[in-house]
Amino acid sequence: MRKNLTLQILVFLTLLVLSLAYLLPVYVMITTSLKSIEEINRGNYLSLSLSPQFENYREVLFGSPRFRSQMMPRLLNSVIISFSVTFLSLFIGGLGGYYLSRTRTFFARLLFILVGIALYMPYQAIIIPLVIFMARTKLALTHWGLILAYLILNVPLAVVLLGTFFLSIPRELEEAAQVDGASKIQTFFQVVVPVSLPAYASVAIIVLTQVWNEFFLALSLASPKTQTVQVVMAEAKGTTLVFYNLQMAAALIAVSLPMLFFLFLGRYFIRGILAGALKG
Amino acid sequence: MEFRKGKQDKIKRALLDQLVFLFPMLLFLIILYGTLFWTIYVSFTDWKNINPNYQIVGLKWYKFLVSQPRFWVDVQNNLKWLILGVLPTTILAIFIAYLLELSPLPGVESYVRTLLLYPVAMSFIVTGTIWSWMYEPDRGVINTLLRQLGLNSRLPFTTDPQTATYWLILIFIWQYLGFAVIIVQSSIRTSELQEMVEAATVDGAGKLRILFSIVLPNIRSGLLVLVSLLLISSLKVFDIVYIVTFGGPGIQTDVLALNMWITTFQQRLFSAGAGLGVIIFLLAFILVIPYTLYAFRRWFE
Repeated sequence: MRKNLTLQILVFLTLLVLSLAYLLPVYVMITTSLKSIEEINRGNYLSLSLSPQFENYREVLFGSPRFRSQMMPRLLNSVIISFSVTFLSLFIGGLGGYYLSRTRTFFARLLFILVGIALYMPYQAIIIPLVIFMARTKLALTHWGLILAYLILNVPLAVVLLGTFFLSIPRELEEAAQVDGASKIQTFFQVVVPVSLPAYASVAIIVLTQVWNEFFLALSLASPKTQTVQVVMAEAKGTTLVFYNLQMAAALIAVSLPMLFFLFLGRYFIRGILAGALKG
Repeated sequence: MEFRKGKQDKIKRALLDQLVFLFPMLLFLIILYGTLFWTIYVSFTDWKNINPNYQIVGLKWYKFLVSQPRFWVDVQNNLKWLILGVLPTTILAIFIAYLLELSPLPGVESYVRTLLLYPVAMSFIVTGTIWSWMYEPDRGVINTLLRQLGLNSRLPFTTDPQTATYWLILIFIWQYLGFAVIIVQSSIRTSELQEMVEAATVDGAGKLRILFSIVLPNIRSGLLVLVSLLLISSLKVFDIVYIVTFGGPGIQTDVLALNMWITTFQQRLFSAGAGLGVIIFLLAFILVIPYTLYAFRRWFE
C-alpha cells in the first residue's frame, strides 16, 4: 500500500514537470503571437491577449515594414517542394523497396547496404557537388533543384520503410496473381500497393514532415524564388529581433502543416515514426 | 523453335520487370554516391575560392583543419552533444515509459503522448526560435517568470561561454524525448515481454528488479535503434546551433556541421569544407555500424 503511494506521487511529479516543460513553450508561443508589442513589453507573458492582434498574422504572411520577409510565397514553395518529394520518393521507393524485399541475390544485398548507409548520410558530405551542379544547370533557380536534392536521401528512406512493410505481406497473394498471368509490374500495382496503402500513408507523413522541416539543404540551395518556410523563418529571426509577436506568428505558420498532420492523423504519424525506427 | 522464342520473350519480360523496379532507385543511388565521392575528391584538391580548382594537393586542407583551434572546439562540443544528447534522453525515456506502464491511469497515456510528441512535428528552426526567446537573459520568458515568482534570476543561458552548449543540448533533449518514449514503449509492449513481466510479478519480484533484469535486457534491439538515431541526430546537429547562437559567444558553441557551412559558403574554402563533410560522414558511418549490421540481418533472415 505504502509502495503504491510512492509510485503515485512519483507519477504525479513526473506529469507536473513534463506538463510545465511542454505546455509553457507552446502556450507562450500562441498567446504571444496574438499580442501587440506594447503588451509584450509589459512582461505578463502568461496572460491572454486583451485584444487579439490577428493583424500580426497578416503582417507575417504578406509583409510589412516591420516584417519584410513575406511568408506566403515561401509557404507555397514549401508545399510544392515537400509534396513533390513525397509523391516521387513514395513512387520510386515503393518500386525499389519491392525489388529488395523479393530478391535474395548478392547484388540485392549490396544494394541494401548502399541504401542503408544513405539513410544516415549527412547532407554535409554531398552538398558541395550538389550546389555546383544546381548552379551550373540553373536548376537551383526552380523548385526542381531542391526537389531533386531531397529525393537523393528520401528515396532510400522510402525504399527501406516500404520494403520492410512488403516483407510482411504473405507471398500467396502475389503468387495467385502471377498464376493468373499477371506480370510482376501488374502484380505490384494491382495486388501489393492496394494492401500497402496504410504503410504508404505513414511513410508519406514521415517524408513530408522531414522535407518540410529540413534546413541545411534548403539554406544552401535556396534562391530567392525557391526559399522555403524554414529559411525565411531563420532570416526573420535575425531581422525582427524584438518583435517576438511576429516571430511567434511566423513560427506557428511554419509548423502549420506538420502540426495538422500530427493533430488529425496522429495514428499514422506515430506509426510512421515507429516504422522509421522499428518495424513496418 | 516456337518454344525457344517463348522462353526468350519470358526472359526479356523478366529483365524489363527488373529494370522498372530497379532503375529509378539505382539512378538516385548513383547520384548519391557520385556526389559523395566527388566531395571526397574535392577534399584532396586545392579549391579555395569561388572558382573550382581540381589540382590535387593531398592532405593539405586536412592539415589546415586540424591546425585550427576551432576544429578542436568543434570536436569537444560534438562529443558533448553525443554524450549528453543521447544518454539523458534514453534514460529519461526508459523512466517515463516504465512509469506509464506501472501506473495505467485512464487518459494519462494519451495525454502524455500528445504532450511529449508535438515537438516531433516541429522543425529545429521553430524550436530554436521559441527557445531563444525562452532563454533571452533580460526579457526572456524563463527569467521574467522566475522574477515574477520573486527570485532574482539572472540565468545567462546561451550567453554564458562556459555553459552555452549545455543549454542548446537541453533543447535537443526537449525535442526528442517524446520520440524516444514511444520507441521504448512500443518495445516494452511486445506480448512475450508482457508475459515475462507478469510471471516475475507473480513470483514476487520488485518493480525495479523487473526493470533491470527483465525489461531492459529484452528491449535491447529497440534501444539499439533509439541510441543509433539519437547519436546520428546529435552528430549532425546544425539547425539548433545556427538559429540560437550561430556558434557564439565567440566560437564556444560551434560544431562540425556549422563549421562546415561557414567554411564552405562564407569563407569559400571549398576543399576545407569538403574535408569537414568527409569527416562528418566517416563519424556517422562508424556510429551506425552496429545498427546497420542489425538491420541487415533482420532484413535477410
